[in-house]
Amino acid sequence: MSLWQLELKKAFRSPVVYVLISLFLFLNFSLLYKHAGIRDELKVTNELVDKFGYQIDEKMFAKLRVYYLAKLEKMNELTNKKIGKTYKRANDFFAPSEYKNRENFNKAEFHVMMETAMIENYYESISNIDDFYRKLDLSKNALSDIRGYGLKGAAAEHTRHYYRKLGERLDELVQNGEHKTLFFFGMIYRMHALLFKDLMRSMIFQTMVLVVLITAHIVTYEFQNRTHLTAYSSKRGRRLMVDKLAASLVAALCVSTTIVGPSLSVYFLLFDYSGLWHVPVSSFFNREFSFPYISWWKLPFAAYLGLIVVVFIICQLFFAMVAYVISMWCKNNYVAYALFAIGFGVAVFVPGIMPKSSLALFWTIYTPFSLVLNPHLWFMGWNVFFPKNYVPMTIIVWIVLLTAAMAITLLKFKKEPIH
Amino acid sequence: MLVVNHVSKNYGNFEALKDIDLEFSSGIYGLLAPNGAGKTTLIKLLATLIFPSKGEILYNGTNISTLGESYREILGYLPQEFGYYKNFSPKQFLSYIGALKGIDPETLEQRIDRLLKLVALDDVATKKMKKFSGGMIQRVGIAQAMLNDPKILILDEPTAGLDPKERVRFRNLLSELGRDRIVILSTHIVSDVESIANEVIMLKDQKILYKDRILHICKMMEGVVYETVISYEQVATLKQRVFPLSERQEDGLLKVRFVAKGAPEPAWTAVKPNLEDVFLYVYRDEMRGEGAL
Repeated sequence: MSLWQLELKKAFRSPVVYVLISLFLFLNFSLLYKHAGIRDELKVTNELVDKFGYQIDEKMFAKLRVYYLAKLEKMNELTNKKIGKTYKRANDFFAPSEYKNRENFNKAEFHVMMETAMIENYYESISNIDDFYRKLDLSKNALSDIRGYGLKGAAAEHTRHYYRKLGERLDELVQNGEHKTLFFFGMIYRMHALLFKDLMRSMIFQTMVLVVLITAHIVTYEFQNRTHLTAYSSKRGRRLMVDKLAASLVAALCVSTTIVGPSLSVYFLLFDYSGLWHVPVSSFFNREFSFPYISWWKLPFAAYLGLIVVVFIICQLFFAMVAYVISMWCKNNYVAYALFAIGFGVAVFVPGIMPKSSLALFWTIYTPFSLVLNPHLWFMGWNVFFPKNYVPMTIIVWIVLLTAAMAITLLKFKKEPIH
Repeated sequence: MLVVNHVSKNYGNFEALKDIDLEFSSGIYGLLAPNGAGKTTLIKLLATLIFPSKGEILYNGTNISTLGESYREILGYLPQEFGYYKNFSPKQFLSYIGALKGIDPETLEQRIDRLLKLVALDDVATKKMKKFSGGMIQRVGIAQAMLNDPKILILDEPTAGLDPKERVRFRNLLSELGRDRIVILSTHIVSDVESIANEVIMLKDQKILYKDRILHICKMMEGVVYETVISYEQVATLKQRVFPLSERQEDGLLKVRFVAKGAPEPAWTAVKPNLEDVFLYVYRDEMRGEGAL
């Protein structure tokens, strides 16, 4: 077994790691279980995609109309038979005043109503898509950001420039029809937020806790156990720290996989995305707020998910490197945890105290600590704090910074007296 | 040959070692001084854990910092405060240290078995060390220092925690090892080195005081060490005139061993000085500071 593997083994000897992994997975499964009730309703979207494809055009719309009307007719036959009443719209059946009538239907029949209402929602919304995007006025968003954040001078100008760029992307998006695609109803189910905000953000913080714990544990292990004099005077000597770095990075990958793998597996077992992998995330139906999700590049859901997972892993590697550098300087795992937490807090806090007229306000967000706060907005144009280069630039800048920090730290350690 | 060439070590304004010059070839060297005299500093310098503020340490003519890995490859080191992994067994721990020392797995396994037998830990080789006594831990420490069959073996207070039987066995082991390698044994216990060291190095005021064979060092005090048997009432008077080394009860009287520089009295018997006499006399100021005398 090579030295980095021996170092890795040390990390996974700690029962705390297993307790935390179990706890975090339990929390994630509980979160998904809470939303499991909607899984049947989501199947309707996949059925529609199976029948008509996900791209919305006139031909598809015409077919959907025929299908919807047939469903509505079938539903009305059922309601006429059971309660002697028909509905103009399927959703009328779900009006509060109809609650007494709804009691006359069994589960299977109720499912027919629900399915018809869902198809109706799609059918009716499709008619509004063009109008919705036509009415989007990004200059109003610019003004809202400028007023909301109190931006002035260069910062305000930067905001206007940002929305001009986002406007160009919006035009492109409308031009290539990315938005006119079927996806889960974001306004009803908030699946993007569930997956990329609630679940992904939880996983980011859970994995970060484990990564920092493990890295500080590995790096300070010899100092904590008083074996540093023996270890660093051995043939491998201070280069053992390179093995510890490799072990920390591999541990970060292992922990990321252990948290993300089962959590995402359960998510996709619960919620059927089988027909939606190729649907762009900028779909009109993915919209959860008054402003739609506009990805800076055309990204199908599968590619977007892949990118998010990759960025997730990169961020965890960054956290491992930050914890590594801190641990190398303080040589005490508890102090390292505290310093990491303080560093995280400071990095998140700093953009808030920057002058509102300065561009430094935007530069200071390029940290993995700010980045991980909103994984559901990675690669998205949302507001002025989510520029096109936000994710790639943060990654590039921090690769350079952390490589330099680690090189300096390792060189320092090479010359450092060990007592 | 290991050469310490005009080495000084400073910590801020404090000089822990001043202009140390030493040469080591095969044999056992006893580094003898009270606590705080700079023994551990010198040893850490030799183990490349700290670096000289001035001067250099050479092995076969090359600076040990330049040699790096190839120097540490031939180094075995037992620190004064030997740390270990409580949840590891001696076998697991020695395997890890062996990996750090770059020993190939097959050789390592054989060496571990042999060394555990040598330090009488073979019956607890797979037991977790958290339940081990201080002496057992120290023996694990000795085994790890010898794991790579080092050409330079540095042992800092190796007998701490060992019982008398283990000490004797350890000394015998060192005598054997010292034939074809450099063994540097740092201690403040004179009996650890008296019977086995080829040379003794004594540090005082952060400098080398003596580096010589035990016989030669003891010769320096020849003619000034005496013994006399007196009553308890006479002890206070005698102590005002001489430097007492040891006292022992004998038939209701007290046999006192002491150093006296002036003309001897008839009741005094001149005795052959031993290393402990030299140690107590040389470090009398330091020992008083520690409250030993």
